[in-house]
Amino acid sequence: MKMKVVFLNLLLAVAMAVPASAHFQMVYTPEIAKNKGGETEVKLVFTHPYEAGHTMGMGMPEEFFMLHQKGEEGKTKKYDLKKLLKPITWTSLTNSGEAYEATLPKKICRSMGDYTLVLVPAPYYEGEEDIYIQQITKTYMNVGGLPGNWSAPAGLKTEWLPLVKPYAMWTGMTFKAQLLSGGKPVANADVEVEYMNHEPDMKKNAFKKEAKSEAPQDAFVTMGVKTDAQGYVTFTVPKAGWWGFCALGSGPDKEFKGKELSQDAVIWIKAVDM
Amino acid sequence: MKKIFTKLVVTGGLIALSATAALAHSPLCSCFDNGDGTVLCEGGFSDGSSASGVKMYVRDDSGAVVLKGAMNENSEFEFNKPAGHYTVTFDAGEGHSIEIDGSDIVE
Repeated sequence: MKMKVVFLNLLLAVAMAVPASAHFQMVYTPEIAKNKGGETEVKLVFTHPYEAGHTMGMGMPEEFFMLHQKGEEGKTKKYDLKKLLKPITWTSLTNSGEAYEATLPKKICRSMGDYTLVLVPAPYYEGEEDIYIQQITKTYMNVGGLPGNWSAPAGLKTEWLPLVKPYAMWTGMTFKAQLLSGGKPVANADVEVEYMNHEPDMKKNAFKKEAKSEAPQDAFVTMGVKTDAQGYVTFTVPKAGWWGFCALGSGPDKEFKGKELSQDAVIWIKAVDM
Repeated sequence: MKKIFTKLVVTGGLIALSATAALAHSPLCSCFDNGDGTVLCEGGFSDGSSASGVKMYVRDDSGAVVLKGAMNENSEFEFNKPAGHYTVTFDAGEGHSIEIDGSDIVE
């Protein structure tokens, strides 16, 4: 009998050790540093990017919009993109989940300057933990190299404020950003970092099977960093491709439908080889 | 004497600093065909500064200026598309000029 209990405990310990990869809300478009503007395809997927693992079914987002600014002295234009969303099924290496796509028309994406894509998803119920997760996500694009509002806050409940252009990273550069909650820095916050290890296939709405790297151990799948006393993180990007940063529970909202809510801030950056 | 020397060094330093700032930003200009017989050009500098007031020239195949103007307060310059081959010049001074071939300006 005792042996049976020991065995069950052992099984439980093994099971607890396995789920190492983290949830990441993706706002993905293949090219973010464009020479010329034009029609832009975007996919919204809630998944585990390093392993192209389990994809969670998203509900209709609360908000999806774009902020465009041409030059630092230019005016910020806001475009509501929610009406452009269409449901799709995204296929990971282990399952399929409900996701969304949008085709942003040329008329709103052709000008020079910075574009910030902002997603406020509907809270997702995570049954295993009996909590809700809401990852407020930003992805940046630039046309023609003319900067705009990349370093300005978007006024979100919680968000990352980059100090390095997120669309102009060479591999090996150090990314720095400040975590804000209600516009104020968040000190000592837990931040998960993941590499998009399987390239998204825009036509098939799926991750490609080939992995770009192999993690020697689970801690390398989801890396952990903390914000400093002023809410900053720095992270040197070791490989070309997409990197996601997720600050856990940094938002001011802590409860949804009577359950705990983890309101997270996510930002994506893309590095390219020299 | 010492005072004059200090003044000279400070002035020299300032000239060097302003020269660096001028070289560090590069001019940027992009044009697209609006599809209604007009062309819109946008400009700026790599440090995010405005191109308002920058001179703009449109030249025909022989190099003759057929239109001239300047970037407006929004760093934009719109003009009627000339017939035949043309080029657009964004002229922000020596080393800060960009020429765009009309055949590269599409909708």
